[in-house]
Order: sequence, then C-alpha cells, then structure tokens
Amino acid sequence: MAVSFPVRLGPAENTLIEQLKSVGADATAERIAVAGLPTRRVEAYHYTDLKTLLRAVPPMVDGSATLELALKAGPLPLQVAGAHHIAITNGLVPSDLSAPSGVTVGRAQGGVLSTRDDILVHLNGALAKQSLALTIERSLDQVIQIDHRIEGEAAHVADALKIFVADGAAATIVEVFSGSEVAHVGNHATYVALGKGANLTHVTVDLSAKASSHFATNEYHLAEDAQLRTLVIHAGAGLSRTHLFPRYEGAGAHGNITGMNLVADGQHADITMDAAHAVPHTTSQPLFKSIARGRGKAVVQGRLVVARDAQKTDAKLMSQGLMLSDEAEILSKPELEIYADDVVCGHGSTCGKLDEDSMFYLMSRGIPQAEAETMLVRGFIEEVLDPIEDEALSEALHMVVDGWLLGK
Amino acid sequence: MTTPILEIRNLHARIEDREILKGVNLIIPPGEVHAVMGRNGSGKSTLSYVLAGKEDYEITEGEVLLDGENLLDMEPDERAAAGLFLAFQYPIEIPGVATMTFLKAAMNAQRKARGEGELSTPDFMRAVKAAGTDLNIDTDMLKRPLNVGFSGGEKKRAEVLQMALLQPKMCILDETDSGLDIDALQVVSKGVNALRNAGRSMLVITHYQRLLNHIVPDVVHVFSDGKIVESGDKSLALQLEAKGYADFDTAAA
Repeated sequence: MAVSFPVRLGPAENTLIEQLKSVGADATAERIAVAGLPTRRVEAYHYTDLKTLLRAVPPMVDGSATLELALKAGPLPLQVAGAHHIAITNGLVPSDLSAPSGVTVGRAQGGVLSTRDDILVHLNGALAKQSLALTIERSLDQVIQIDHRIEGEAAHVADALKIFVADGAAATIVEVFSGSEVAHVGNHATYVALGKGANLTHVTVDLSAKASSHFATNEYHLAEDAQLRTLVIHAGAGLSRTHLFPRYEGAGAHGNITGMNLVADGQHADITMDAAHAVPHTTSQPLFKSIARGRGKAVVQGRLVVARDAQKTDAKLMSQGLMLSDEAEILSKPELEIYADDVVCGHGSTCGKLDEDSMFYLMSRGIPQAEAETMLVRGFIEEVLDPIEDEALSEALHMVVDGWLLGK
Repeated sequence: MTTPILEIRNLHARIEDREILKGVNLIIPPGEVHAVMGRNGSGKSTLSYVLAGKEDYEITEGEVLLDGENLLDMEPDERAAAGLFLAFQYPIEIPGVATMTFLKAAMNAQRKARGEGELSTPDFMRAVKAAGTDLNIDTDMLKRPLNVGFSGGEKKRAEVLQMALLQPKMCILDETDSGLDIDALQVVSKGVNALRNAGRSMLVITHYQRLLNHIVPDVVHVFSDGKIVESGDKSLALQLEAKGYADFDTAAA
C-alpha cells in the first residue's frame, strides 16, 4: 500500500502489541500497530471508543499463583442456589472438572474459533490459553454456573467457553464475572451451538470490580426449532461491553435476546448485538433495558440482518432507557438491514426519566418518594427478569438488581 | 364544635399562567358526604389533584386543613399517611409491579409513617381477601401488574379496594362513575357506601347526577369557574340535572 495514515499508539495499544507478539500472533499485533484500537469512526464502536476508554492494559496473567489465589478469594457475588459450579480462575480451567449427569465437560488448549472480524475476538483467540467445553446431551434440571474470576494483581485475562446443546436437550447456564478490586482487563468468548429443538437459557452477569474492564463476545448458532433466551447484565466493571452474535440457521429457530445495562457514576456499559436471520421462518425478540444514574453512560446497539432468502422472518427489536439523573447518558442505536421482501420486522427505542404521573400515583397511596422510585425501576426491569423460569436463578438476578439499586 | 375533617379556605391555584381555582371555600364535617358538581373544565379535577399534592399546580393563596393539620405543607405520601385518599378518575398503569406487591407496600408505608408495625403476610392476605370479596376482586386480578390491562370497571374497583384497605379519614372520588356500566357502578357504589361511617368524610366529584342516586350526598355544591357558587341538599343535584349549569354561570358572574 502506497499511502498510510500513521496512528499514534497509546500505552494500551503498545502493551497489547507486545502481548500478541509474545504468543506469535503477529497478524493481530500488526493490525493494532497499523490501525490502533477502534475509535468512534468504526461503526461498531461508535459509542464505545476503545482507544479513548481503554487507557492501559495490565500484564498478561501469571498462571502460576492461580490456585493459591482461588483459595484465598472471597465469596462469589452471585450464587444460584443448587447450581453446579465450574470455576475458571485467571483464565485457567481446572483439571479436575466435574459435571452433572447428562453433561460432558472438557478442557482444551487455546481459544474458541470464531470467524468474527473484531479486534476483541482476535485478541481473545490469540491470548486465551485454555477453553472449557460443555456438551449438554440431555435436558438438565440443575443450573450450571460458571464462575469467571480474576484474582490477585491487575491482570489481562482471556478465556473461552464452548457450549453444545444436543438435539432436543434443554439447559440453563449462567456465567458470572467477578474478581479483585484492581484494574483487570477481562476478555471472554463464548461460542454456543444449539441442535434441533434444543432449548438454552444463557445468562451472563458482569459483577467485576469498578476499576476493571470487562469484554465479552457471545456467538450463538441456532438449528431448526432451537429456542434461545439470553440475558446479559452489566452491573460491575467501569467499562463493559458484550457483543452478541446470534445466528438463526434453521427454520423455527427463535431467540429472546435480552440485556440490561445498570450504570452509575464513572461507568460505561455497552451491549451490541449483530443478529443474522439466515433462513426462512425464524423469529427473534431482542429486548434491551438500560438504567443510568449519576454520570453513568449506557449504550445499546442492535442490528437485525435478514438475508435475501430469509422470508417470513419475524423480528422485533426494542431498546428502552431510564435516566435517573440529569447527567446520565443513554445511547441507543437500533438498525434493520433487510434483504428479503416478505418479513415482519420492527425496531423501537424509548428513553426517558421516571414517569411523573406514576410517581404521583404511588406517593398518593402513602409510598415515600425513594421507595416509589425503586418500585418503578424494578417494574421497568421486570419485563426482562420475569421470563427467567428457574426460581433460584430469578431470585439471584433480582438480588443483583436490588444490590445495584442500593448503590453497591 | 368538632373539627371538620376537611376545611378549605379561599384556595387559589394556577397551572403556569392560568388560574384554575379562584377562591374555593368548603367545610366537610366528620361523617358527611359532599358532592361537587360542575361542567367539564370548571376546575373540579384540579381541586382533587391540588388536595392530593400533585406537583404541576402552584398554590397562590389560601389554606387547607385535614383534621386540623395543614395539608398544603405535606408531600403526597404524607397526606396519604395523614388520612387523605384520592380515587383517580384515570388510575395509572404501572407495568412490572404486581397489584398485591403495591397494596402491601402502600399499607406498610402508611403504618410506618404512623409509627405502627408492619403487617404480617397472613394478616395482609386476610385483609385483602375480605375487602376484595365485596368488590368481586379475586386474587388472580391482584397478581397482575397494577392497573395494566384492567377494564374500566376493574380499575375503579381496584381504587375502592385500596380505599377499603387504607381506611382513610377523607376520601376524594374523582369522577368515579366515568367508564362504568350500570352493573359496575352498582358494585363500586356499594363498596363506597360500605365505607361510610361517622368518622370518615367523602368528597364526590362528578358531572352527572346518576352517581348520586347510588352514593347519596348530605350536601351538594355547584362548582363553576374555579369556585363553589351554590350549595344545597341532594335536591340541588336534581335541579342541576333538569336545568343544566347555565343558571349557575350567571350566578357566578
């Protein structure tokens, strides 16, 4: 190429280049050296300018002390009663894995494959040392909870998870992200494939320390009649972004892709979805809710792409924001990209503060202002939490919301 | 002389630059039911909102005492705890909040404000069941989000249920008959009448005489252009129904 526009690299980019080179990922290193981290000029990162937001990247995690750190770590911030736990501490998958009956669990070296051309995906692919693989062979009653923890000194951690749900099987899997209160950078990838008629509820909850940055990429492939419910909750890291890639690849496949950004002062949370309806007769109902207080900033980008052949697609995308302070910021960008001509697709976006008439109504019954506000906020979120069928999980997620409301 | 439950003295209120209440005077002794009748836009509903404490209005003059206490200094929740209840003309729909959850929160908030202990769940359920039976309200309706998807009749019955559970001293019923068919009107009126007693007063706001056949008032007031222009017994309502409001407009002029 004859012409190049040099990009001024910051400390975060220089660290990433070094880390990539040390594992031989020269192509990705080169890409960052040339283009830098994505800025707002890159559409997918328009509201989450990584170059500005990610100022520094800590050293790659040192795995040698992991076991010791895991033993010293405090209690988990979220525990689904009766769940089967699998811990991934500092990116390392334990060797003595156990699983409920009906599940095969395994450990592999390296990350999970993804064809997504995205810098965070490339970073994860290059830097994840190990991945956990779960194969759900038949329907499970027990919730599987995967505890991703980053403990000890500030570290850059990449880990990966692969989930296969066999034809007709059903499962509920919860991933919880947490760790010590320092400036970690976590980069997680989850690759999910659902067989014919399979049914999966996949919940990811970020409860990392506010000093840390949390990135996750979740890719879903749905075969015929597969039913997927996802729920992303951002309620921890100072900077969080989850990028969802659901692909509807078999007739009758349906996805309830949902998410919740809960942000306060100094937090930036981003849920971005790129959904592909690839074949005829698939349906989806993405629903995202953001609540911002203080100077918190929440971002929702949702894109539905309907392929030329994907006739009779029925997809409705909704993003709703609730601003609890004058300084709060909520950015919402729903997009439809439709190549088929016989579809029912729609998108909507609303944003506002608490409804004054509703506040007055509750207060006129004797409910004090603060309690009335909490009630309305809970009510706003309930549409996302209510469909979670497992009672213990539902209770745990309500506690996350209540914890956030109490300012934890 | 016993303290009136509600005493309104020369009340003036405006919304932005428009004066809506222009000197309302009204005294309601304990146990009495007063009706306020007036045409649309006369300021009847504003009076109910101002009494309940809606923010949109600015009080420019006058005072209101609830059982001797200065009502206008209180927040809406404090007014409720002090014993004021407004049955809304259009009850607000609150998605995501189960009616039952709301009822319990309201009852306990008022008890707390009065320094009483929280209701136990069995006591609460018993109270709701007892009050709901008379109003044809079953527990299924109470599990639904507050007022969401309720029919006109269900909304008004839910308002009366709240009134029955909260046991206010002073009930204001704002156009409670609007959106009700004859059968629903009877159920709601029966519910309201069951709450009449020597210590509780009511202010029934309506523009039809019809409601007053069911909830028979002790005193009827005619409201026109932001104030009360005529007061009388229940025959005044019949007179209004026959002649319309026109005569009273002149009286006000």
